[in-house]
Amino acid sequence: MTGGPVRAVTRPRVGTRAWRWRPDGATAAFAVFLAFVAVFLLWPTVVVVGHAFAPGGVIGLGAMTEAVSGPFRSPFRNSIVLSAATAVIGGVLGLLLALAVRDLTRPRWLRPAIDAWCSVASQLGGVPLAFAFVAALGTQGVVTKALNAIGIDLLGTGFSLSSLAGLVVVYLYFSIPLMFLVVMPAVAGLRETWREAATLMGASPWRYWRSVAAPLLVPPVLGGVLLLFINAFSAYATAYVLDSSGQLVPLQIRFVLQGNVITGEQDLGYALVTWTIALLLLGLALMTVLQRRAARWAQS
Amino acid sequence: MGAVVSAATVERAAARTPRVTARPRRRASGGSVARWAYLGLLALFFVVPQLAMARFAFQNVPVVLLDSSTLFQGWSAHRLVEALTEPELWASARTSVILAALAIVLNLALLLPLAVLVEVRRPGLRPLVTAVTLLPWVVPPIALVVGVAATFRQVAPWFLASPLSLVPFYALWAMPFTYRALDAGLRAISARTLVEAARSLGASLPTVLLRVLAPAMSAAIVASAGLTGALVLGEFAFASLLLKNTLPTYLVNYQRGAPQAGMALALAVMLLTAVGMAGVVHLLRRRGLGVSTVGV
Repeated sequence: MTGGPVRAVTRPRVGTRAWRWRPDGATAAFAVFLAFVAVFLLWPTVVVVGHAFAPGGVIGLGAMTEAVSGPFRSPFRNSIVLSAATAVIGGVLGLLLALAVRDLTRPRWLRPAIDAWCSVASQLGGVPLAFAFVAALGTQGVVTKALNAIGIDLLGTGFSLSSLAGLVVVYLYFSIPLMFLVVMPAVAGLRETWREAATLMGASPWRYWRSVAAPLLVPPVLGGVLLLFINAFSAYATAYVLDSSGQLVPLQIRFVLQGNVITGEQDLGYALVTWTIALLLLGLALMTVLQRRAARWAQS
Repeated sequence: MGAVVSAATVERAAARTPRVTARPRRRASGGSVARWAYLGLLALFFVVPQLAMARFAFQNVPVVLLDSSTLFQGWSAHRLVEALTEPELWASARTSVILAALAIVLNLALLLPLAVLVEVRRPGLRPLVTAVTLLPWVVPPIALVVGVAATFRQVAPWFLASPLSLVPFYALWAMPFTYRALDAGLRAISARTLVEAARSLGASLPTVLLRVLAPAMSAAIVASAGLTGALVLGEFAFASLLLKNTLPTYLVNYQRGAPQAGMALALAVMLLTAVGMAGVVHLLRRRGLGVSTVGV
């Protein structure tokens, strides 16, 4: 950025120009934007965090510890396991999809079709997606019956859409396309000339992947996995339709919010939300660091 | 629901385009078979649930009897017609459409001037603005609704009485990806040069915004609008917990009473969203932009 002295010289020049923009146009727009975010996002969030650390008006960690212990330990464990499994499996499958599609040229229409489909499918969360999986893999689902007909008793294996495994399958529906969208630019950015250069210098294909491609792909892949984690952790509608009394953090927040008869219970809800925000903030911070690194490497 | 624009900014997309010259190379046929098998399996995973839902929705057969032997029986659209004649559907759809339109306007009104001014006048502010626009991601609807109940409900209960009170929050959750779309669009047209040129020819701020920048970045604006609209039409948690009747909350309630007709309606909504999104994606692709969204 420009240093202090340069600014001091340019400022008055801009000010004397008879141009219609107010000198503070940018600042004014930024102030309006900040005020909006402050009222509708920061204020409610800060109030919740404040309540969480001061249950019943007295400062203390009681609510925060209660929210991750006793009956609330398992929703947190379930949500983290569900999000992590979705993120890792979705990350691997999405990366494989990107690698499989990378030098695909033969049916001309296929590559644009996959790109467009992934943009659409990554958006297809929520209520309709849950219905689709009920129709396919629910107790009366079409696929469940088809598997039954060939002798595989899906429900007998303990599989159900409201179990963690079932939810992972449903969440993969929007996680794989999302991962594809995130890593595709990096995968497509692997230049063919780099492989040729490596081969010319005597590197085996394995060596090329380990020493050239992998270091380039690791930051965007990890960033994508974190994105999937955040996305899965805060997903609500799909889980609600499949199992509205489920042992997941978003569903528990709803319980506490709707049944806030006892005052202590309300503080518990605030603490659940505070833990969720802290977890997502951590994920976002890690992701930003990784993406910055990825961008730096892509430029150099 | 939250969303993102993927890191595929314009520069990268532009750098990618001339690289399509991947020559047909010799490839181990084993790898090729594995690749096509993988693509085939994924295609099945993505298509089968939709087909299953189509059977539930459009076959006039009780759910229990929907197996391979009844594959061709009783296909009809009468359940969808039935679902479409419910007046409540149109009331909630109207609410959702109004919410979407207002959220789009509010979102653009807040972010378009900001993105332009940051790009043209204060590039130093960009990291800060980018960071702030990411914040809505950290506070998903299910978390913010608790805070809203704790603040607005007590300080300004009149505010939450109207379904329109959802508008600012939807505009907020759209920010992480609309700001990125607008920013990418601005960089793609080298806005600073355009503004300086217009400025040296004596254009005023409204002229610069409406007659120079807006037409040049129409794709990014349409993308922002489309993504905001898709978000609003799909958001369930916030509306349902604040007891507002929008399209997604109606879908859930209606499907409880009429399982198969509910699926017909859901399929129709999903197809409409997909077609709309595909249109936006197509538009962007023509301009060399890559935008992705995340459904929650």
